[in-house]
Amino acid sequence: MKFHNGDEPPVRRPRAQVISKRFDRIFMELANIASFVGRFFREVFLPPYEFKEIIRQCFEIGVKSLPLISLTGFIIGIVFMNQSRPSLAEFGATSWLPSLVSIAIVRALAPLVTALIGAGRIGSMIGAELGSMKVTEQIEAMEVSATNPFKFLVVSRILATTFMIPALMMYTSLLALLGAFLNVNANEGTSFTTYFTQVFDAITFLDIFSSVTKSALFGFTIGVVGCYKGYHSSKGTEGVGKAANSSVVTAMFLVFIEELLSLQVITALRAL
Amino acid sequence: MSAAENKRAVVVGIFVFLALVILVVGVFVLGGQQKRFTKTIQITAVFDDVTGLKTGNQVLFSGVRVGVVKGITFEGPSQVAVAMDITEESQKYIRKDAKARIGSESFIGNKAIVLYGGSPQLPVVQAGDRLGTEAQLSTEEMMATFQENNKNLVAITTDFKKLSSGLARGEGLAGALLTDDQLAQNFQAILANLQKTSATSMRVSQALAQFSNKLNTQGGLADDLLTDTVTFNKLQATMTQLEQVMATTSEMTSKLNNTTDKLNRNDNALGVLLNDPEFALDLQLTMQNLEAGTDKLDANMESLQHSILLNGFFRRKAKREAKQKEREQQKQERLRKLEEKQNQKNAPATKATTPKTPADTANSAE
Repeated sequence: MKFHNGDEPPVRRPRAQVISKRFDRIFMELANIASFVGRFFREVFLPPYEFKEIIRQCFEIGVKSLPLISLTGFIIGIVFMNQSRPSLAEFGATSWLPSLVSIAIVRALAPLVTALIGAGRIGSMIGAELGSMKVTEQIEAMEVSATNPFKFLVVSRILATTFMIPALMMYTSLLALLGAFLNVNANEGTSFTTYFTQVFDAITFLDIFSSVTKSALFGFTIGVVGCYKGYHSSKGTEGVGKAANSSVVTAMFLVFIEELLSLQVITALRAL
Repeated sequence: MSAAENKRAVVVGIFVFLALVILVVGVFVLGGQQKRFTKTIQITAVFDDVTGLKTGNQVLFSGVRVGVVKGITFEGPSQVAVAMDITEESQKYIRKDAKARIGSESFIGNKAIVLYGGSPQLPVVQAGDRLGTEAQLSTEEMMATFQENNKNLVAITTDFKKLSSGLARGEGLAGALLTDDQLAQNFQAILANLQKTSATSMRVSQALAQFSNKLNTQGGLADDLLTDTVTFNKLQATMTQLEQVMATTSEMTSKLNNTTDKLNRNDNALGVLLNDPEFALDLQLTMQNLEAGTDKLDANMESLQHSILLNGFFRRKAKREAKQKEREQQKQERLRKLEEKQNQKNAPATKATTPKTPADTANSAE
């Protein structure tokens, strides 16, 4: 069965078992995800462009996440600085705290924490929102009303997460570094100029570039997972909860996998 | 577009704008700090070993960051060429004969290329120049030196252990000094004597100093001897005369020797008188005979005095002698009285002259 706009049914149920029921389902899921991502890239460049919806999603995803992300980043800066101090103090190297914290925050903590909080808040929000739309057959209703639900619901959300997570990451970095500065200033009396000189002395362009790229990838992943889980949720209220839950868990898991892979790529780039 | 949508779009725009500002500021601060956006020239230096050096490490000149390591490539059989980007603003401080070595930013910090030296009279470094390098001790070489030092330290401590155990047992002079009480007391006494001697020496040196000061006093004999040419000439003349006197004395001594020799011989009268015992005995006998003869002559003269023929002569002689004696006594008496009178005159005269002025005294003297 095909819809008028060419959409495939959400899940292709196998008629015959190929490997085993479980493995068949996993590979089927992978194929569906690949098809979903492929369709996103196809739809994203084709008009009409849903700018209003993209802006709305940016507001919901980015701006509304800012307080939570900012507070988290600020606290992480203070905590990380405080926890790193004893180890460096053993070597009498507390003057290296700004360098250590800047590397940790810019290279790893800011993208990862932003992505994880984004996965928790945004992933669940997208999953639940699309899941409930699916359950209440709003998506089908959009199809009937000649609106492309994929472009309106999925593409706008994935684009919003892809752009907003790097932006949130920048805020997180800044606030985490400020939090760390307050801590190091209170304990070591390091001045603002000295602190930020040491911070920027320790990092490179590659660090900033890789963080932004990584965050965009994390945002894309969160968007894709959330949309996929919500868009393909099963019928019923239970399906909404499952979609929200699995979108968070899957997004977080994938974020960690991507962090590991990106680390390998960046290390290889750094060696060049 | 509704007002709410408008507001939302503006907020999103501000949100994205601020994120971009953070990114751009970060990039520019980083670039400025790492001098990525300043004009640079590339120079190279060839090292034998660049352990720990990486692309992007700092290039320091007098401790100031002047560039970054741009590339590390092999050159020749085993050497490594390090390309460095140096900022144009610091180019004017680096001369063509400046040298490069591999140092580090801090004790446990990253490696860095350290540029140093350079003659001010030489032109500044240009793009493509190749700086001379100086081989630095690697960590392995330093450890090898430490190992050698450790061996030496072990040998020294072993020797010192033997030495200290010997000292503890009282072996050798030093050991005996440490353990033998008597020797220690002797040593203490020697030290005390030395202390006294040094005090005496100090006094002697002070006296010598005073003496030399006196010698240097102007107008003194020594100073005159050393400085006054007239005195020196007189002294020279005196010495010449002394020499002559000595020559005369020598001649006289020689003659006296001859005389003494002759006196020691018996071939002359004085020699016989002094040396011949028989002659001495004869002479003694002669003297005894003379003494006996004199006694007899005294007796004869006494008897002659009392003889009738010469009695008158001796009485007149006695009277003349008595008169002579009386005149002498009278003369003495007159002299004594005259002196007494003179003394009585002088006593009031002295009392009267005391209130007189010196002028009066002078007049009276006149």
